[in-house]
Amino acid sequence: MKVRRNVALLVVLLIAVGLMAGGLWAPSLAQKPVKIGVLTPLSPPGDAAAGQLIVRGAKAAADDVNARGGILGRKIELVVEDDSGTPEKGSAGMRKLATQDQVVAVVGQFHSSVTAAVQVLAEQFQVPVFLTQASAKSLTEKHLNYTFRTHVIDPDRVTMWNRWIKERGYKRVAIMAENTDYGIGLVEDTKKTLGSAVPGSELKAIVFDRAVVDFTPQLLEIKSWKPDVLLNIGIGAPVYLISKQAWDVGLSPAVPMLISYDAPARAEYWKNLGEKGNFASFIVYYHPSMKLPARGDAFRKKYIEQFKEEPIYGAFNAYAQVWLVADAINAAKSEKPEDLVKALLAGKFEGWNGTISFTRGEGPYWQQWTPPMLIVQYTKPEMSFTDAKIIFPPEFKTGDWMPAKP
Amino acid sequence: MDLTLASQYVLAGLVIGVIYSLMALGITFIYSIMKMINWAMGEFFMIGSYVQYVLIVTVFGGARWWLALPVAMGSVFLLGLVIQRLLLRPMYVGVIERRDEYATIVTIALMILFRNLAIVLGGPNQYAPPDYARPVTLGTLPLSGNRFVALIGTAVLLGLFLLVIKTTWIGRALRGAAQNRVGIQTAGVDVLRLDMIAFGVGVALAAGAGALLAPDFLVYPENGSISTFKGFEIIVIGGLGSIAGSLVGGLLLGVIEALGSVFISAAYKDLYGFLLLIVLLVFRPTGLFGERERTA
Repeated sequence: MKVRRNVALLVVLLIAVGLMAGGLWAPSLAQKPVKIGVLTPLSPPGDAAAGQLIVRGAKAAADDVNARGGILGRKIELVVEDDSGTPEKGSAGMRKLATQDQVVAVVGQFHSSVTAAVQVLAEQFQVPVFLTQASAKSLTEKHLNYTFRTHVIDPDRVTMWNRWIKERGYKRVAIMAENTDYGIGLVEDTKKTLGSAVPGSELKAIVFDRAVVDFTPQLLEIKSWKPDVLLNIGIGAPVYLISKQAWDVGLSPAVPMLISYDAPARAEYWKNLGEKGNFASFIVYYHPSMKLPARGDAFRKKYIEQFKEEPIYGAFNAYAQVWLVADAINAAKSEKPEDLVKALLAGKFEGWNGTISFTRGEGPYWQQWTPPMLIVQYTKPEMSFTDAKIIFPPEFKTGDWMPAKP
Repeated sequence: MDLTLASQYVLAGLVIGVIYSLMALGITFIYSIMKMINWAMGEFFMIGSYVQYVLIVTVFGGARWWLALPVAMGSVFLLGLVIQRLLLRPMYVGVIERRDEYATIVTIALMILFRNLAIVLGGPNQYAPPDYARPVTLGTLPLSGNRFVALIGTAVLLGLFLLVIKTTWIGRALRGAAQNRVGIQTAGVDVLRLDMIAFGVGVALAAGAGALLAPDFLVYPENGSISTFKGFEIIVIGGLGSIAGSLVGGLLLGVIEALGSVFISAAYKDLYGFLLLIVLLVFRPTGLFGERERTA
């Protein structure tokens, strides 16, 4: 009798435990968030300002996705890691995100040298990694399954400035480039293509270590070579140091300068350079005069309301990439890496300025989607990015390039 | 060869060599008194640049940058005193057995701490105070006004340093401590107090370099790293512990980098100093003015 009572009690207990497991634990499992990694430079020697803007965009997207029901009914949780712009820290961050945090994807890659290390681990751990502003062509040329890029590639950047150089009639082109995959890749591509793109042109390229702070001898050498234009291929502090010191040795603004990416669009540009930043031309991928589709426009308004300034491209792209991951998982109805990759390759997704789709094309055009590229110019100190005119390509021009006044 | 360009390189090398020698002097001064290497010198350079920037932006304004300079150096001097008293003094009062290792670990820990503190407090971004002066031409060399001011400022600071060391009681005591720590203690001098002063003065010199170069080299958490490399190159070239060596080493480094830029390429400017350093280590390991250490 006592045994029977104990067995009955045990059955009741088991049922209770089963009910608890079904009724309490199952919902808690369903509520487990979907983690997305943001691996980006947040401290020097990386371009930390760019990393901060990327994090802003990613956070805004996570908020928006969560407000609309999340991914497969679950919330997004961002896990932010600092890669410091160095491959070793990038690798450590990627390893942590993949193994400890078990993220479904990683966005935010900015420095090409870091991405080269990170994408190897992405392949090993089967975690899709999205390049937000890393543009070395070699990154997608390897044809890896888990590397996706929604940013320009360097050959396109070089084609862009070759066309601009030709239009401006420049023949003697000087380059100051940092010794990273980005800088060296751009120098090599320019060496290969400038001669045919601009017949009769000459090129002088100086590659520097990105820790250098005094560029005086290099700039004096360039000045004595009498270039028609100087391409400034520094990232982070070097881009400002070259601009400042080029002015100090009398190279700028008499010799026009083209900055290779959109650093001057940030508020810190004028704070760091003052009048020495004037007359610089620079490559951007977004301009406030662009008409954006619904997703991009909504983000822009939200960003301006929150931060009281125009969003920068890096923020737009990170925003779109988090949405991309969410949309792809929802389309695949699975967060398994192979399903996510299949969905990314099969689908068309709403981006910040158009529809994003990926194909496995030739060479670097592998799982690659390219935003527009524009050249804009500042023509007076403290000029706002919104007021800067688009000077190239001709189809988007809003103003003409202006020389410095003697 | 373009003679104008060559002369510009040499002048640019001399100017930056003199400025870097301020950093080297700080390193060598601390070493000569305390017999330890301060690996965090670049961070004191960085702190000097931050304090200078904050003072100019919030208190003095761009026109009175020269008032900010002594305050920046003074505040880093005080910071140096506190650090020496709390973290480094235990090396000399019998508590620590392996002094060299202790000093290395403590100063590298300080380096990491200060760099990260700068990121936490000031963010990772770059800042620049307004220019100290308009661009000038020095002989054939077009030079930033800031660099010219830094050159003059360095010369003044070096002069003041030598004046204090050569003519004052404390200077004589410091020279005595550099020659023989035990001997000076027997003469009744509190050598632990001298250590504090030496550390404070050494890091204040680095802060001075950081403050003077802030508009040119910008203000950010890692802006002191190259100056530290140059400082260490200079003291190895000039001889560890030698004040004259740090001055001559600075000039020599500047000229070697300039000549390398003229005859080879400006792209490898930072390599030439290391080549000189390797040659010196092979043929004169004690540096130009260094002396072989005598051990009992």
